[in-house]
Amino acid sequence: MRRRRLLAAHAALVYLFLYAPIAILVVFSFNRARQTAIWEGATLEWYRSLAANELILTAVKNSLIVGVSSTIAATVIGTLVALALGRHAFVGEGFTRNLLYLPIIIPEIVLGAALVTFFGALALRLSLWTVVIAHIVFCVSYVAIVVRARLSSFDRSLEEAALDLGARPLSTFRRVTLPLIAPGIVAGALLSFTISIDDYVITSFVAGVGATTLPLQIYSMLKVGVTPEINAVSTLLLAVTVALVLTAQRLERRPADRGAGS
Amino acid sequence: MTGRRSVVAAALAASLLAAGCRRGVEPPSPGPGEKRLNVYVWSEYLPREVIDGFTKRTGISLRYDLYDSNEAVLEKLQSGVADYDIVVPSDYMVRILIQLKLLRPLEKTRLKNLGNLDPAFLDKSFDPKNAYSLPYVWGTTGFGYNRTRAQGSTDSWAPLFDPKNRGRILMLDDMRECFAVALKFLGHSLNTTDPAILRQAADLLKRQKPLVKTYNSSDYENILASGDVDYSHGYNGQLAKVVARDPRRFGYVLPREGATIWMDSVCVPARARNVESIYAFLDYILEPEVNASIVNGISYASANIPARKFIRPEILNDPAIYPSEAALARCEFLEDIGEATSILDEYWTEVKAQ
Repeated sequence: MRRRRLLAAHAALVYLFLYAPIAILVVFSFNRARQTAIWEGATLEWYRSLAANELILTAVKNSLIVGVSSTIAATVIGTLVALALGRHAFVGEGFTRNLLYLPIIIPEIVLGAALVTFFGALALRLSLWTVVIAHIVFCVSYVAIVVRARLSSFDRSLEEAALDLGARPLSTFRRVTLPLIAPGIVAGALLSFTISIDDYVITSFVAGVGATTLPLQIYSMLKVGVTPEINAVSTLLLAVTVALVLTAQRLERRPADRGAGS
Repeated sequence: MTGRRSVVAAALAASLLAAGCRRGVEPPSPGPGEKRLNVYVWSEYLPREVIDGFTKRTGISLRYDLYDSNEAVLEKLQSGVADYDIVVPSDYMVRILIQLKLLRPLEKTRLKNLGNLDPAFLDKSFDPKNAYSLPYVWGTTGFGYNRTRAQGSTDSWAPLFDPKNRGRILMLDDMRECFAVALKFLGHSLNTTDPAILRQAADLLKRQKPLVKTYNSSDYENILASGDVDYSHGYNGQLAKVVARDPRRFGYVLPREGATIWMDSVCVPARARNVESIYAFLDYILEPEVNASIVNGISYASANIPARKFIRPEILNDPAIYPSEAALARCEFLEDIGEATSILDEYWTEVKAQ
C-alpha cells in the first residue's frame, strides 16, 4: 500500500517535471505584465494583439503549410519505404535500411548546410517549398522507422489468408494491411508534424523570401525581446496539437473495436 | 504480384517528388507588370507605415523576412539562391560580405537623396567610400543600470569592475565588445593590436569574471528589467526599451571613457534581380520624412541630417540615442584588427574557461 503511494508520488513528480513549464507558459499567456517573469493579473490582451500581429500570423500560416504538406508527403513516402524494406529482400536492402537513419543521425546543422548547397547546385531558388522539401527529407526517416516497427509485429498470415480467399492484392492492402499498420502510420505522421513544426536549424538554412516559419519568427524577435504574444500563440498551437492527438487516438481505436465486435 | 505493387509505389513516390519539385522551381520573380522588392532585415527595423507608404507611392510590393544574427545574412547570400534585394548587416559583416564578393556596387548617381547623409558616418574602414553600403541606423554599446540599486557615479565603466557589484553584472557574450570595455576602461583604443595592452585587458576581464553573473547577448535587457542584475552591458537600442518603460528605475550610460559605436548598413546582394525597385527603395528611405518615421518607429539614430527636423524631440534629445558630439568623439567603430584577432581569441578562451 505504501509502495503504491510512493509510486504515485513519483509519477506525479515526473508529470510535474514534464508539464509544469508548459502550464506556466499557458498561464503567462494571460499575464497582464509585458515582462515575462512577473505576474500582474489576468488579461486577454495578448490574444487580441496576436490577432492583429500580421508577422506572427503569417509565420503560423507558413508553419502550418510546411507542417501539413511535408507530413503528408513524408507519410506516403515513408510508409512505402517501410513496406518495401519490411517485406522484400533485395540487393542493397541493408544499405537502404541504414541509409534511412542518416537524416536522423547527422547533425541538423550539417543537413541544413548540405541541403542549401544542394539547392544551390540545382539553382532552385529558396522559398517556402524548399523548406517543405527539406522537412520531407528528415520526416521520411521518422515515418519509415515507426512504420517498420509496426510491421515487424505484423502477422503475414493475415495477408496470405486474404489473398487465398480471393482478394486482389490492392484490396488486400487496403482492407487488411493498411488498417493493421494504420496506428504506426498515424504515429509516424504525428511525429513528423511535431518535428516539422518546431524545426529551427534546418529551416533557417533553406528558408527563402516570405518563408519565415514560427520558430524563425520567435528567434528573430529575440534581439528585441520576446513578447507575451508568443506565449499566446504557443498556447493556441498547443491546444490544436492536443486536439489533433486526441482525434488521432480516437480514430486509431475505432477499427480495432469494430474488428473485435464482429 | 508483389512486383506490380512496387511499381505502383515507385510511380507514386516519383510523381509526388515531381509535384514537389515543380512547385519549388516555379520562379518567385515578378509576374508581368508586377514590381517586387524582397527585403531581409533585423526584427523591428522597418516600421509598417514605411512599407505601406513605399508600396502606395511606387506600386512595388515589398516582402520582407526577419533575421536575428548577421550570420543569417551571410548564410543566405552564400547559398546563391536566396532572392533578397536588400539586406541590412552590421559593420563587420559588411566587410566580410564585400570580401566574399556577395554585394553589388551601388550606382550612387541613381540616388538623388544621397546628400542627406552625415559625412561623419560615411567612408568607414569596413566599406571605404561607401562603394557597397549606406548607413541605415547606428548606436553605441554602453550599459544599462538599475537606478534604485546603483551607488556612486555611473558615468564610467567602473561599476562593472567594482567588487561591490559581485553577481549583479551582466556582460555581452561577445569577445570584441568585452575587450572594448576593458581597453576603454584602461584608456586605450578599442582597436589596439599591442599584445602587452591586450594582455592587460585580458587580465582585467579575468579579474572581472567572478563578479559577472552571466554573459548574454540575446535577452539581457529582460534580465536587467526583471531585477536579476543591476548593470547590463549592451546595445543602446535594446536597453532603451527598458529605460523607456520605466525611466525612474532604469538608465542607460554611454561611459565617459568611450565605447563602441556600431552601424547597420543597407546593402544590395550581388545576385539581386529587382534593380529598379532597389534604387526606388534606397532613395525613398533617404527622404527626410520617411527616414524620420523609421527613427520614430524603431528608436535608433539614423545618419540623415534633414530628417532630424521630423524626429520626435524625446528621441532626438535622448543622449542614449543621439549622444552629444563630445561623447561621440570618444567612441570608435570596431575595426578589423587582423592578426591580433587570434591573440584575442586565445585570451577570450582564457577568460571564459576560468
